[in-house]
Amino acid sequence: MQISKLDQMFDVLASRPKKRLVAAWGVDSHTILAAYMAVEMGLIDATLVGDEKLILSVCREHNLDCSQFNIVHCPTDVKSAALAVEMINKGEGDFLMKGLLSTDRYMKAILNKECGLMDPGAILSHVTVTEPKNYHKLLIVGDVAVIPLPDLNQKIAITNYLIKTAHILGIENPKVGILSASEQVLPKIPSSVEAALIAKMAHRGQIKGAIVEGPLGFDMIIDRESALIKGVDSPVCGDADCILFPNIEAGNTFYKTVIRLLKSELGAIVMGARVPCVLTSRGDGERSKLYSITLAAMLA
Amino acid sequence: MITKLSELAEKAKNSGKKTRIAVAVAEDSNTINAILQAIKDDFIYPVLIGNETKIKELLTSDIVSNQVEIKNITEPAQAVKEAVRMVRNEEADVLMKGLVGTDTFLKAVLDKEQGLLPTKAVMSYTCALEIPKYHKLLFVSDTAVLINPDLDQKIAMINYSVTMARRFGIEKPRVALISATEKVSPSMPETLDYALLCKMAERGQIKNCIIDGPLDIFLACDPGSLAIKGIPSPLEGDADILIFPNLESANSFYKGLMLFGDAELAGLICGTTKPVIVMSRSESEKSKYYCIALSCLMAEEK
Repeated sequence: MQISKLDQMFDVLASRPKKRLVAAWGVDSHTILAAYMAVEMGLIDATLVGDEKLILSVCREHNLDCSQFNIVHCPTDVKSAALAVEMINKGEGDFLMKGLLSTDRYMKAILNKECGLMDPGAILSHVTVTEPKNYHKLLIVGDVAVIPLPDLNQKIAITNYLIKTAHILGIENPKVGILSASEQVLPKIPSSVEAALIAKMAHRGQIKGAIVEGPLGFDMIIDRESALIKGVDSPVCGDADCILFPNIEAGNTFYKTVIRLLKSELGAIVMGARVPCVLTSRGDGERSKLYSITLAAMLA
Repeated sequence: MITKLSELAEKAKNSGKKTRIAVAVAEDSNTINAILQAIKDDFIYPVLIGNETKIKELLTSDIVSNQVEIKNITEPAQAVKEAVRMVRNEEADVLMKGLVGTDTFLKAVLDKEQGLLPTKAVMSYTCALEIPKYHKLLFVSDTAVLINPDLDQKIAMINYSVTMARRFGIEKPRVALISATEKVSPSMPETLDYALLCKMAERGQIKNCIIDGPLDIFLACDPGSLAIKGIPSPLEGDADILIFPNLESANSFYKGLMLFGDAELAGLICGTTKPVIVMSRSESEKSKYYCIALSCLMAEEK
């Protein structure tokens, strides 16, 4: 089934065997409430790694049945992160979620060379699935949060993550638009050059499972008319499933525009580690956190 | 459409026009022999610049005085200068190198004030190859001038080759960008340029042609190989133009075909305001004759 609304993930996920979430330093109400909701909906099982006293008091405060969770006591945030990662590596969990600890500490545990979650040479990147109002389908975009200025190799990795996410969401041959300032290849605009390279690589089968077009201006990616006016006739234009952004500023601005100006929802995860990692920010709404957990479970 | 070099010569012969060729230092049999047939076929009017005594010794007796003009300038650099001046002032349509070093010759062509190359223009070399085993002419660049062309120079090479192919009647020539593989790989820098060139053509930044690359020679010129590899190429294994990544590969390709594959060629320097003929002594009589016929075709006003 092709998913075109974030809510549709719930039905798909509910019909599958439950995946196990492990929350690192999951001691705050944001993390616990989001995980609780997912557990209540029958989507996942959840382990909270953190100070048991803190966890129990949050549960009491919000009237949650703490027996819904597997609670693993650990006194500090750094140790909790290491322990959560260790549980994943031991096969005791299927995906990771960030709790109250800083993103730095969370990422450090994932990236740790000896006992982290990275295979050699793997590239960690952030994938966001947005549901913009006024667009007829989901838009899967990257990287809006982790890699500031991806080089060619990183862009290829991000493109593959976008494609993989689309496949998981039932989009068989996703259409990927590579963003630049315009549709022209201009050596003075590096993003246009790398876009042309990636598009050609896809054409040669070096990137599989998608139709990839670029460079394209943003208008041309989401609006077929705009593309045709400029003489670009690509199936991607006006019907893109994925957008590859040239840098974090462009990507970050896009996703915040979707949330703040369009009041639309999203789900986001970090890919490239051995398992999907949830990295919600406290600014995200309840719904978006639930979507992120659901998305990670689908990819796990 | 011209599919054989003999047709190119026929076209020159039947044009009813005589292209004026200024030959700089026309003092060797190599040069004179190359133009004799074209004089007899009545499609050129050469101005032979150099030592008059030496020139006259080389001209056969059946050439009459109204078929050629001779300018007696004994100093080679001066002879070259005069030839270039004539072309600049439209007293001649084509410039041709005779018995003078390529350095001296090109120095005059490239002279900023008095030469033949527009400011910022790229000088390059394109030749049309007739290969018995290929069903049509194959245009190849750059076999002689640009050693390691950058992106802009590759664009110029494509544009010159496309212009030439179109003069042969190929409306929308198929341009193959040649490498050892069809994959885009940062470890082979030319493949990166090629990916950009393809997209530029798709976007209308390079006009009047269809471009694909990287491709190897098989994928460019043999539909069977394309089918075996299952690669979708808009050229369909039917390339008109091959663009090579560097001088060594292009030069070896054409020389290999001349030596082992009975190929003939017609080639020219491109980028100058008027065609410039620089022939290598190792080329066959036939190829030299075809170079002159090609210069006549390219000198036509369009």
